[in-house]
Amino acid sequence: MNVLPVSHIYRWDLDKTYLATDFDRWQNLLKIAFEKPEQKVNVPGTAALLRALPQAAPEGTRVLIFFISGSPQQMRKVLEAKLALDGVTWQGLTLKPNLRNIARGRFRAVKEQVGYKLPLLLEGRTDILPEVGETLFGDDAESDAFIYSLYADFMSGRVEWDQVEQVMKACRVYPDALAQARAAQAHIQRADVVERIFIHLDRRSSPDRFDGYHERVVPIYNYWQVAVCLHARGRLHAGGVAAVAASLLSDYDYNIPRLVNSTEDLLRRGHLPVRALSALAEELAVTEGVPPLLVESLGRQVASPPLATSYLESSMSLRDYPRLLAIDQAARKAAKLAAQTLRRFRDPPI
Amino acid sequence: MITIAVDAMGGDNAPEAIIEGACIASLSSQVHILLVGAEPIVSSLLKKHRHEAELISVRHAPEVIPMDARPADAIKALPNASVLVAARLVATGEADALVTAGSTGAAILAASSCWQRLPGIHRCALAAVYPTKGTHGPKEDPFALLLDVGATVGASADDLVRFAMLGDAYARIVSANPEPRIALLSNGTEFNKGSPEVVHAHALLKEIHGLNFIGNVEGLDIPLGTADVIVTDGFVGNVVLKMLEGVSDVVQELARYAYRSRLTWRIGLSLLSRGLDQLREITDWEAYGGAPVLGFDHLLIKAHGRSNPRAIRNAIRVAAKAVRGGLVEATAQGLARLPFQGDHP
Repeated sequence: MNVLPVSHIYRWDLDKTYLATDFDRWQNLLKIAFEKPEQKVNVPGTAALLRALPQAAPEGTRVLIFFISGSPQQMRKVLEAKLALDGVTWQGLTLKPNLRNIARGRFRAVKEQVGYKLPLLLEGRTDILPEVGETLFGDDAESDAFIYSLYADFMSGRVEWDQVEQVMKACRVYPDALAQARAAQAHIQRADVVERIFIHLDRRSSPDRFDGYHERVVPIYNYWQVAVCLHARGRLHAGGVAAVAASLLSDYDYNIPRLVNSTEDLLRRGHLPVRALSALAEELAVTEGVPPLLVESLGRQVASPPLATSYLESSMSLRDYPRLLAIDQAARKAAKLAAQTLRRFRDPPI
Repeated sequence: MITIAVDAMGGDNAPEAIIEGACIASLSSQVHILLVGAEPIVSSLLKKHRHEAELISVRHAPEVIPMDARPADAIKALPNASVLVAARLVATGEADALVTAGSTGAAILAASSCWQRLPGIHRCALAAVYPTKGTHGPKEDPFALLLDVGATVGASADDLVRFAMLGDAYARIVSANPEPRIALLSNGTEFNKGSPEVVHAHALLKEIHGLNFIGNVEGLDIPLGTADVIVTDGFVGNVVLKMLEGVSDVVQELARYAYRSRLTWRIGLSLLSRGLDQLREITDWEAYGGAPVLGFDHLLIKAHGRSNPRAIRNAIRVAAKAVRGGLVEATAQGLARLPFQGDHP
C-alpha cells in the first residue's frame, strides 16, 4: 500500500489546549477521572479545527496529528473515545505513566513537564525528514511555551545540546529522562522545522509573558485566531476557517463581534499581516455558510487596520533559557493565583 | 451585547489605570469595551495585563484634552480628542454609553456636541450616590442620590425642577423605589428659605402631581437619609460631594492613627475590623466607579478624575447596569410627566 509522504506534523497538548479541563481545584480531579467521553468538554473550536487540518494537506501528501499529554495512561480509553466522538483522525496519543512514577517514588515526575515532553518531542522527530514542518499547540497553565520553544530552537540550531542539557538539569529532570532526550537528539536531522507554537491562554495570561520567546510563539485567546493564522501560512483552507467559525457561533457562546475583536487583537499584536487577512476575507466571501456580517467586518478591518500593526518577522536572536525558566515558573504561579482569586468587588449601588 | 466606549486617555492616572481597569472589567463581565485613545499606547498597555481580548476593541484617537484645559477651547482645538471620539461612537450607535475619568466640563461639552438633550432639559445634571443612615425604597438601598454635583453651575429654578424629575426617574429605576422622596437642599426647611432660585423651585415642585416632593432639607439631612433624592446646584453639590469624600478619608486616617497610638484602641479596632471594612467599602468612592450625567439622550458616566483601575472597572459596570436598566429611557419617561416641556412661564 502506498503511503502518502508527510508534509506537516501537528503536536497537541490535551488538557486546556484541546479539552477544557479544570484541574486547578483538587475537587475536580476526581470528577475528571470518572468523566465519560461524551462528558468531556472541548475548548471551543478545537474539534472543528482538528477535523479540518488533514483536509488542508497539500495534494499528494498527508499530515500527522499527535497528542502528548500529562493525563495519566489510565485515561487512554476514554480519551480515544472522545477523539472518535469528535471525528478526529490522529496518529499518536502519549499519556503519562503516573502510576509507575508514583510506584518508583518519582513524585516530581507526576507534575514536571520538561522531562516528560521534551524527550518525547525529540523522539517524535526521529525518521522524519527535515523538510517536514511542525505546528505545536499548548496552553499557559503549564510550561508549554518554554518546552516547545526550547525544542524549536534546538531543532533550528539556535541552541546547542549542551544548553538544552543545562536547562533540563536546572529543571531537575530525572537522569533517565535526560538520557532519553540525549539518545533521541543524536538521531535527529535538525532544521528550522517549527513554524508556529500556539499557546491557548486558558488563564488569560498577559500576552507580554511570552515576549521573551521567538515570534513563532503566538498566544491565542481562541481557535478562531489559530484558524486565521494557519490560513495565513497556507496550513488551512478557507473552508476550514469557516468550519471553526461556524462551530464557535453555533455550538458555543460566540458572536461575530467576538470573532472580529479576536482578529483585531491578532493584527495589533503583529501576529497576522493585513495582506493575509485581506486574502482570507476574499476567500470567505465565496465560501458557503459564512455569515455575510463576518465577511463585511473583516473587510472593514482590512480597510482600516490597527495603527500598531507591525507584523513580527523572524529573528535570529538567542534566548536566555535559564532566565526564561525562572520567568515562566513565576508567571505560571501568578497566572494561577490571578485566575483563582479574581477579586469580586461589591456591586455598585446603581 | 452591551458596548461601553471608554475614554482611555482621560483622568489623572490615564492611560495606565484606565486600561488596567478596562482589562479587569473585560474578565469579569460580558460587556464589550471600546477603548478610545492613542492606539499604539493603548495596544502596548493591553499586552501588559490579563484581559479578555474577545471583549475589547481599540479605536484610535490621536488627541487628548488635558485635565486643566478650558473645556470649550479644548473641544474646539482638539476635534479628535479621545473623549470626543468616544462620544461620537455613542452617537452613531457603535457604543451604548461613554465612560470617562477626564475633565467633567470637557466630557459634558463633548456629549453636548454629539448628542441631544432630552425634551425639556436645558442643562444636564451629574448625579452621585452616597451612603446614608436610612435606607431607601423597597430594596432598602443604603444609598441616596445627590444631583447636580458639578455639571451645571448657577442652575435656575427651572433647572432645579428638571433635576428633580431626572432624579425621580433615576431612583424609580435604580432603587426600584415607586415613590422616591424628593427634596431641595437649602439653608432651612421653611419654604421661603434659600436662594431665590431654590425658593422659586420649591413653589414649582409643589405643583407637580405624582412627584413626592417633601420640601427643603438641610446639610445635616444629607447623611441621615431624610430624602431619597436631594436636588441642588452643581457648585454646592460638588462641594458637598467632596466633603463627603474627605470625611471618609479622615475617618479612615483617624482609625489608622488610633490603631498606632494605643494597645486598647488597637484591640477595639480589631474587634470592629469587619464592620470598619464594610464601612470603608460603602464610603469608598472607588467602589462606585462613576456618576451618571442625566439629561442626555445617551448615557455618560463620569468617573472620578483620580480613578484607579478598581474605580474604572466599577464605572464600566455602572454604565452597563444603567444601559441594561434602560436609565435614559426611564428618565425620558419621567420628564414626559412634567406639566411643561419648554421654558416655564
